[in-house]
Amino acid sequence: MFGRKRKLDDFTDEIEAHLQLEIERLREQGLNEEDARASARRTFGNVTRARETFYESGRWVSWDRFWQDLRFGLRMLRKTPGFTVMAIVTLGLGIGANTAIFSVVNALLLKNLPYAHPERMGTIYMRTTGPQASNERRNVDGEQWELLRAEVPSLLCAVSSMGTSGVNLQAGYQVQYLHAGRVSAHYFDVLGLQPVLGRNFSEDEDRPHGPKTAVLSYGLWRTTFGADRNVLGQAMLLKGEAYTIIGVLPQNATTPLNAELYTALQARPDGEGQGTNFEPIARLRDDATWQQANAEMNRALARSLRVQNFLKNNPGAERAYYLVPLQTSETNTLRPQVLALMLAAGFILLIACANLAGLTLVRMLRRTGEIATRLALGASPWQIQRQLWIENLLLALLGGAVGIEVGFLALRGLLLLLPEHFLPVATVPLDGRVLAFTLLLTLMTSILFGMLPAFTTRKVDLRSSIASRTVIGARTVRLRQALIAGEIALTVVLLAAAGLLIRTLIHLETMPPGFHPGGVITAKASLDEVRYHDPAAFRKLLDESLASMREIPGVENAALGLTLPYERALINGVFLRDGKESGQGVETNEVYVTPGYFETLQIAVVAGRAFTNADSPDTVEVVVVNQSLARRLFHGADPLGRYLKRDNKDVLIVGVVADTVLSSAGELHAGSAPLTSEETIYVPAAQMDAQFLLLVHSFFQPSWIVRTASPVEGLTAQMQRALAKADPNLPFSGFYDMKDLMAATLATQRMEVALLAAMASLALLLSAVGVFALVANMVVQKTREIGIRMALGSTVGQAMLQIGRSGVAASLLGVILGLVFSAWALRVMKGVLYGISVYDVPTMATVVLTLVLVTLLATILPILKIAKIDPANTLREE
Amino acid sequence: MSTQETQERLELLQGTLDLLILRTLIFGPRHGQGIARAIQETSEEELLVEHGALYPALQRLEQRAWISAKWGVSSNNRKARFYSLTAAGRKQLVRETTKWKRLSKAIARILGSEAAEG
Repeated sequence: MFGRKRKLDDFTDEIEAHLQLEIERLREQGLNEEDARASARRTFGNVTRARETFYESGRWVSWDRFWQDLRFGLRMLRKTPGFTVMAIVTLGLGIGANTAIFSVVNALLLKNLPYAHPERMGTIYMRTTGPQASNERRNVDGEQWELLRAEVPSLLCAVSSMGTSGVNLQAGYQVQYLHAGRVSAHYFDVLGLQPVLGRNFSEDEDRPHGPKTAVLSYGLWRTTFGADRNVLGQAMLLKGEAYTIIGVLPQNATTPLNAELYTALQARPDGEGQGTNFEPIARLRDDATWQQANAEMNRALARSLRVQNFLKNNPGAERAYYLVPLQTSETNTLRPQVLALMLAAGFILLIACANLAGLTLVRMLRRTGEIATRLALGASPWQIQRQLWIENLLLALLGGAVGIEVGFLALRGLLLLLPEHFLPVATVPLDGRVLAFTLLLTLMTSILFGMLPAFTTRKVDLRSSIASRTVIGARTVRLRQALIAGEIALTVVLLAAAGLLIRTLIHLETMPPGFHPGGVITAKASLDEVRYHDPAAFRKLLDESLASMREIPGVENAALGLTLPYERALINGVFLRDGKESGQGVETNEVYVTPGYFETLQIAVVAGRAFTNADSPDTVEVVVVNQSLARRLFHGADPLGRYLKRDNKDVLIVGVVADTVLSSAGELHAGSAPLTSEETIYVPAAQMDAQFLLLVHSFFQPSWIVRTASPVEGLTAQMQRALAKADPNLPFSGFYDMKDLMAATLATQRMEVALLAAMASLALLLSAVGVFALVANMVVQKTREIGIRMALGSTVGQAMLQIGRSGVAASLLGVILGLVFSAWALRVMKGVLYGISVYDVPTMATVVLTLVLVTLLATILPILKIAKIDPANTLREE
Repeated sequence: MSTQETQERLELLQGTLDLLILRTLIFGPRHGQGIARAIQETSEEELLVEHGALYPALQRLEQRAWISAKWGVSSNNRKARFYSLTAAGRKQLVRETTKWKRLSKAIARILGSEAAEG
């Protein structure tokens, strides 16, 4: 009790000393050695028993008892395999879901991004106060980039293109389409990446009109260049121009761009640099602080024309730039979703625990007799409690082990579901932290589901328990009903959330597309090529390739557009040229198209005409607007024959077409649904000038569109051949139908729906099991009572109602609680719901109906057993 | 269990051994064998103490902090574990002695002359 326990050896020494002292005393009395020894032993009694008595009082015994309890616990679990398997599977699913989601949380929010000292890396945010208040991550324009580079000594700054763009690479005879990113000098220095071969871009190579150089990703170096160490200094044909390879990035190196190949950005303040088209990234220099960096950056960017113009046009507004750690900004958009999923996974675990608490409670009550017997035989309440907790812990640990397996599989499935480069990290590992979390979770669950039964058994009354057989009291049933109601309430929330997301997805997928998506196949190719900088060459390519495609048997029509419905479009500004709002500008989506575009996609021309082959560089510049843009510009007045100013040139509106659905990723309007029908202006591809083509082709890869009346065998190969007739060195990036494009745009929504629906189904399953177990248990426990009632004239139906009521009542209470809870909790979903409100009656009605059906099923299955109860038999059993 | 030699001796009443040990230690630290001998000798060889039975009692007393123990050297230069009375043990001894005296007086009164004769 005090201090550390004595060792058995120490005690043995003491006994040995005792015997020796006794022998010596006897020898002094005159006995010989042998007699003295014998007498001393006799007087002492049984030495072994003395040692055993000592041993049992020592700490060794608590270990022994622990093992004993553990073995006993295992035996008890093996005796009730149904319960054990059910418990382990329930826990495994609950813990597994949490393990999988936590791995993502861990990889995204807890682990560092895969860069050296990621805590010193930052991105630029802008806070605007005043009427147009905003606070968001910002890109910079060419002038701002120059200011950042020159006037912020605390930071090592770099910029890149926004995302990658498709380009054609010719190495040897083979031309391939790949994703290239453009980065400034020091970009890889900011990321802390050192090439395995060669070097990074120098400042000289990053100057406008500097030498054309490229850095390869490890993957491209392996596949296309056969991991040849002599590639450095070699030239390859990229975008139709010779580029010198100067470096190869290390294996598994990730960059925010994740490109296959990098070229120097060579940013200029004009052209592309007029817009905020550069994505900045910065690393804090060793001796600088974030405060210094923020102050310097704010001062530098405040001098840019963009900020000064804004302040001039918005008196009273203020604008401040500040740095946000890369980790935060890269995961910001995903954070709410990931945390919501974690919450959903937490709900599932709670539901699993509630189920188990109910099951364990019944199990403990069934064992009241056993417990009472043990108490009567002298076991202390502590010993009983310890035994129960050890069994709970055992179950939890077994469940946890299964949970890790389930989590691993679920994570693999989840990662397969995610679009490529969806997460800003390369891998989502099940690392030590995840395993520690799972262990913690396991211990927590054992407490959660073990608490209730443990408290109940503390109140076991010896006398009544040993005698009685019916152990299930009204109090216990109410307790279990409360647990079921709780889990059903959580299930309602999850089902409602999943339902709302499903309805949103359906709304988005069934938006009137404004064109006819069936029978259309599209293919992209990069025209970011030197030979297509000349508009005449560009026009020739379009004419020849489209003519060849129209000749493919079965093809009804062929056309080309810079972007397609469902895709993100170019954003451009147009201005009213006349009328009282003259000079006012509007931002709009813009698509260049060939004359057959509307006909091929079957977009309705509402007024005026579509483009024709007569619209050429030599004729008046014409445009077609969609209905949204017409409304926005002319408020219902006739747009035909009116002029707009586009790129400082007058253009004539010759037609109005129906709105088509397109991706809102261009962020024309903040906070709009991923698919919208926004303002769009169409311009003829044939009237585009060289400067415009150069710019848009560095961002967008135009699509060839082919419509067939019925599926055509080998269509894609024939399309590639048709293109090759016009240009043998132009590869298509791939072929897509409209469903693919829609799926790509709605990938995030689809993933959210899939995950939440999976979680909600799991919750529903567990709740159904909970109700089933409650009712089935009542049937078993009350068999005798039912028998008596039936003997006294009660019908089977009445008995069924009486028992079934318990499950239905619990479930209904849970549904009501859940609806109240949902009304409060689901408001946070407002930002991700489109086309429906949070209080969507059909969704809620479906949720309630689903739960009612599942409850009835889970109740009816077990109470059918009542019909088999024979009153005579039950009574005889006693 | 018992031998010829010890058969005629009195067996200890339950709980009295603790009291005897505490009482023995009042004159200073002693080791196990010393305690056993002292009980036997002071009771003029009347009390039966199986030496081995002493140790669970010693351990119990040590756990309750009524006695403390440490290894030392006996008068004849042998290593032995010496037990000594703690302050708490002293109090306990007073308490138990009073209780015991009242008990034996009461029993003697009930058993009357026979007991006196015995």
